Amino acid sequence: MLARPGLPDFEYMKAESPQDVFRLLEERGGEVKLLMGGTDLFVQMRDGNESAGILLDLKYLPGMKDISYTKKKGIKIGAAVTLNQLSAHPDVTNHFQILSQSADTVGNYQLRNRATLGGNLCNASPSADMAPAALVLEGEVSLSGPDGERVMALDQFWVGPGKTALKEYEFMTAVCFPNPPSGAVGRYLKLGRSKMGDLAIVGVAVLGYPDPEVPAGIRFRIGINSTAPTVYRVPQVEELLAKAPLSDDILRQASGEAMKVSAPIEDVRATVLYQKKMVNNLTFKGLKEVWSQLINS
Amino acid sequence: MKNSEPSLIGQSVRRTDAIDKVTGCAVFVDDIPFGPNLLHSRLVRSPHPHALIRSINTKKAERLPGVRTIVTGKELSARLGLYLIDRPIFASERVRYYGEPVAGVVATTENIAVEAAKLVEIEYEVLPAVYDPVESAQPDAPLLHPDLGSYTVANFIFPEPGTNISENFKIRKGDVETCWSDCEAIAEGQFRLPPIEHVPLETHTSIALSEKSGQITLWASSQSPFAMRDMIAQCLGIPHNKLRVIAPLVGGGFGGKAGVTMEACAVVMAQAVEGRPVKLRLTREEEFVGTSVRQSLVSDIKVGCDKDGTLLGMELTYYFGGGAYNDYGVNIARAAGYSCTGPYDVPNVKADSLCVYTNHPVGSAMRGFGMPEIHWGLEQIMDQLAEQIGMDPVEFRLKNCVRTDDEIVSGMKMTPIDLEACIEKASKAIKWEKKEKPTAPNKKRGKGIAIMWKAPAMPPNPGSAAVVRFNEDATVNVEVGGQELGQGAFTVAAQIAAEMLGVPYESVTVSYPLDTKYSPYEWQTVASRLTWSMGNAVKAAAADARTQILETVADHWDEEIDDLTIEDGLVISFKSEREQPLDKMVIYGLPNEDFEGWKGGPVIGRGHFMPTYVTNLDPETGQGTRAVVHYTVGAQAVDLEVDLETGQLEVLNIASVYDVGRAINPDLIMTQIEGGAVHGMSSAFEELKFNESGEVLNPSFVDYRIATIADIPRKIHGDYVETPIDDGPWGARGVGEHVMVQTAPAIANALYDAVGIRFSDLPLSADKIYLALEEKINREK
Amino acid sequence: MVIHQISLIINGTEEGLQVPSNMTLLHALRDKLGFTGTKNGCEAGECGACTVLVDGEPMNSCLVLAVELNGREITTVEGLAENGKLTPLQQAFADLNAVQCGYCTPGMLMSATALLRRNPQPSEVDIQEALLGNLCRCTGYQRIIDAVLKASRNGGAK
Repeated sequence: MLARPGLPDFEYMKAESPQDVFRLLEERGGEVKLLMGGTDLFVQMRDGNESAGILLDLKYLPGMKDISYTKKKGIKIGAAVTLNQLSAHPDVTNHFQILSQSADTVGNYQLRNRATLGGNLCNASPSADMAPAALVLEGEVSLSGPDGERVMALDQFWVGPGKTALKEYEFMTAVCFPNPPSGAVGRYLKLGRSKMGDLAIVGVAVLGYPDPEVPAGIRFRIGINSTAPTVYRVPQVEELLAKAPLSDDILRQASGEAMKVSAPIEDVRATVLYQKKMVNNLTFKGLKEVWSQLINS
Repeated sequence: MKNSEPSLIGQSVRRTDAIDKVTGCAVFVDDIPFGPNLLHSRLVRSPHPHALIRSINTKKAERLPGVRTIVTGKELSARLGLYLIDRPIFASERVRYYGEPVAGVVATTENIAVEAAKLVEIEYEVLPAVYDPVESAQPDAPLLHPDLGSYTVANFIFPEPGTNISENFKIRKGDVETCWSDCEAIAEGQFRLPPIEHVPLETHTSIALSEKSGQITLWASSQSPFAMRDMIAQCLGIPHNKLRVIAPLVGGGFGGKAGVTMEACAVVMAQAVEGRPVKLRLTREEEFVGTSVRQSLVSDIKVGCDKDGTLLGMELTYYFGGGAYNDYGVNIARAAGYSCTGPYDVPNVKADSLCVYTNHPVGSAMRGFGMPEIHWGLEQIMDQLAEQIGMDPVEFRLKNCVRTDDEIVSGMKMTPIDLEACIEKASKAIKWEKKEKPTAPNKKRGKGIAIMWKAPAMPPNPGSAAVVRFNEDATVNVEVGGQELGQGAFTVAAQIAAEMLGVPYESVTVSYPLDTKYSPYEWQTVASRLTWSMGNAVKAAAADARTQILETVADHWDEEIDDLTIEDGLVISFKSEREQPLDKMVIYGLPNEDFEGWKGGPVIGRGHFMPTYVTNLDPETGQGTRAVVHYTVGAQAVDLEVDLETGQLEVLNIASVYDVGRAINPDLIMTQIEGGAVHGMSSAFEELKFNESGEVLNPSFVDYRIATIADIPRKIHGDYVETPIDDGPWGARGVGEHVMVQTAPAIANALYDAVGIRFSDLPLSADKIYLALEEKINREK
Repeated sequence: MVIHQISLIINGTEEGLQVPSNMTLLHALRDKLGFTGTKNGCEAGECGACTVLVDGEPMNSCLVLAVELNGREITTVEGLAENGKLTPLQQAFADLNAVQCGYCTPGMLMSATALLRRNPQPSEVDIQEALLGNLCRCTGYQRIIDAVLKASRNGGAK
């Protein structure tokens, strides 16, 4: 089925308070779709993959577009914060550079004026560009539902392609990231078919920080997208890297392990073999870059 | 006549359309307001690549409130076509590609049309499909057109009824069989290209209105409104003067808006709702699925040379994947046939160039018309052969390239060109001799060259006409039927008219939109032919107007015409040094002495051009006196590097040099060269992908990637040489298509230089390159 | 179908209009208000032909509902030149032949206008990043980059 021109009929409603949301969801639950930036939802509606009687706009709920930072707790980013807003925010660029870096790889500038952090994470796309960095920063999502608020670690949040742990009538209000360990350095490396702007064939986020407790002296966290049903971390690889003094060989071995863990499927963008090889090469490159940066600083 | 050097020819004057386009004033079809009377439509498209239609039930759809009519092919037996009339407007018995229109829904809103289209029930009996042109040419392949023998066909096209072969063009020149034994080296290979899309930024859009008087008007994004009128009028039995095609500016064509795509569907739907305009606008997804494509090609090439590297023979088979129907496809195979050797002097040639039906979208013209397709293989195999005998690729090309007056593959004498100069300039611009270091340790760098030729591929007698009309203040309207697609055709027309008339360039306006009711005839805006053919017509029309003016003034002054000229809006006499401003006199004429009557009157110049010297070719040998009007040639040299960690390519420098005959507007040539280099580079990575059931897998910009602003070469070095031809205005010929013809093989040759791997199939995806690199490393271990 | 009465400030002038919920800004501009300089190229946020400025920031008007923007300021290509005087950016596009078919041009101009306002002296890479979402099939982009650079030397967006 080919995409249709324009958008199908629906009713647009702006939620002013969380109660608005729950009330409407209770009354007309099945018909309602929640709207953030719409950059994915509108395309899905044109493609016929999504339909709705009501689009309920959550962007204007209190706090949804706020970013707040404290030295103690880290950063809290409203779910409707746009990727451009996030990328340019001084608290993000100062303390969570890898988020800013990841945001800049999504689509294009005008799209990022609409696309939101919450949308990128809630779509649960295996190729979500914000997800690898969000994972290695060990973020938590704040979810709001009729039964109240709850917080969930991001690694519990995605349960499959397009599927999250959100309960019925529940929505994301914010994402919180604790301050990364001191001295941490992060890189998000993304490979697409074009130099910039494509969906990730593979994206790898590497966060490294000094840790005298481990033989390597450095600990790494690695998040990978596009090569499994959900975006994932590779704890076994992270452990392997911590165990011995670092060398190119160790990095290579670790990258090879990451490649083994990856489970891509063949699609219109790339073959399975290429995707796996790129997990290997990007992981190596990311590790190497972060390592050199840590050594030099 | 004026003897002085032309003052405007060779000047990079500003585009006539630039200000309209930067202010948002330029009007494209979708921008025309129609008011509340406008109806909207959607096409119901086939979900199968090959199937019989068992039944179509429109009852449910018709009952949806707001639906005005639903049109199917049931009552429409006539077929559409250009050279081979084979395509129904709506399929009624059989569908032959995924996305083929089966019904059209007209409704009061687009959303109602969308919903109604879902309610049209069609029963199909799915048939085996065939996609590969070589397989499809076999006797046991599923037959797409059992009635091929009954189709109307142009007298220079040779379909083979009972097969899927819609054209088989042959070259038999010299003696290929015996030449191989004289060869020191022989290279053989098979090269493949997938179908690709034109991807104009403006999707195909039409509005049709059928009035109760019998008058039909069609507003369409069309490169060729006259050809569109002719095809639709013939198909539907409408007198040409009752079908009016209005074509505003075109938002990119590249050949995809040259024939008839979906415009006939709009007309047929409009006929069913008389008195109300019906709009049909393709979505981007439909643009990818439901419009014509550059045909796929499988080419088998064998070529040999003696120990000095002189080419002795070539044997070629081209299998063009023509798709479900022929738009231009058969003539592309023919053009590929009579130019089958590429720009080389080869004494012995045997070639078969076939167009073969496949269950893919309609194969058609795309920028280069068969030439990018055949040069992909030709320009790589020449490198292979050069390598075998140990010759440098540039030296090999300089030795063997075609020269003025050579007898070329079709038996014709080569028109004036200087390909050697192009090769020398292009190779010099990328420092061909110099092995250069990659910019990073994980990269490999290489250089490659490729050359090309292309003739305008047309029927022998395509005409152009032009009218030059003066206004009271001596400003001028130039009327043409050739289209402005962005290439700058209107600018060149204005420049030529101003030059001939002796008026300032700024005082000339080219009338648009094109309108078959008012615009003078133009065969088509294709084949890089406007500067040359329409340019000749404008030049003739302006000369006609100029003569009218000079006759009046000469009579008025009692002088000889030869003593007069027009400069800067003034008629001046070399003899008497008198002056006569053009304003007013070009409309009101000049009074006789004492106002005893008047002479002259409104000045309207008319001119036309039609080549009269193209001859037929022998159907068995492809030989004739003059296959084409002329050739344009050029060379591209590429300096690139490959990222060994990802397989990604980056073009560092592309030098692109063509022989344009005469540069009318040098900067417009440069914009073609630059745009063409990027289009050509992009085409090397493009592919319209299908799954096993013929469905298009990448009908969006997300998955059909075209070059973005971040992907362009770091440097594009454009240049040209000028070897005038005798039948173009001031010696000019076209260059719009040529600029992308050999980019992909130039890249492939540079890639080979960089990594030692030959890629015979497009696209050059990073995926494919990387895996080939790894395989090579493993092999060499 | 619910119809919303909204007002948009378009190129400095307030326009009242009625829109159904599902009408995008693109269609409201083109079909309701006649601002046809904004082009429809894909309706999926991929080509940038429909780019306009919303409160000064570029957005794909095909991916924004008109009803969401009640009271907001929209700038389209028609709002760039004032009293017949082109902006330095428009002038540079015309002078450098950065225009061919012209279909991508309005969107390019809007993205580049926003770039020059937030970064008056952009580098070539800055321009590539800012115009990444504006596809062009004709020009090969180099002229467009050159035109933005030229405009940045000649007074920027305005």
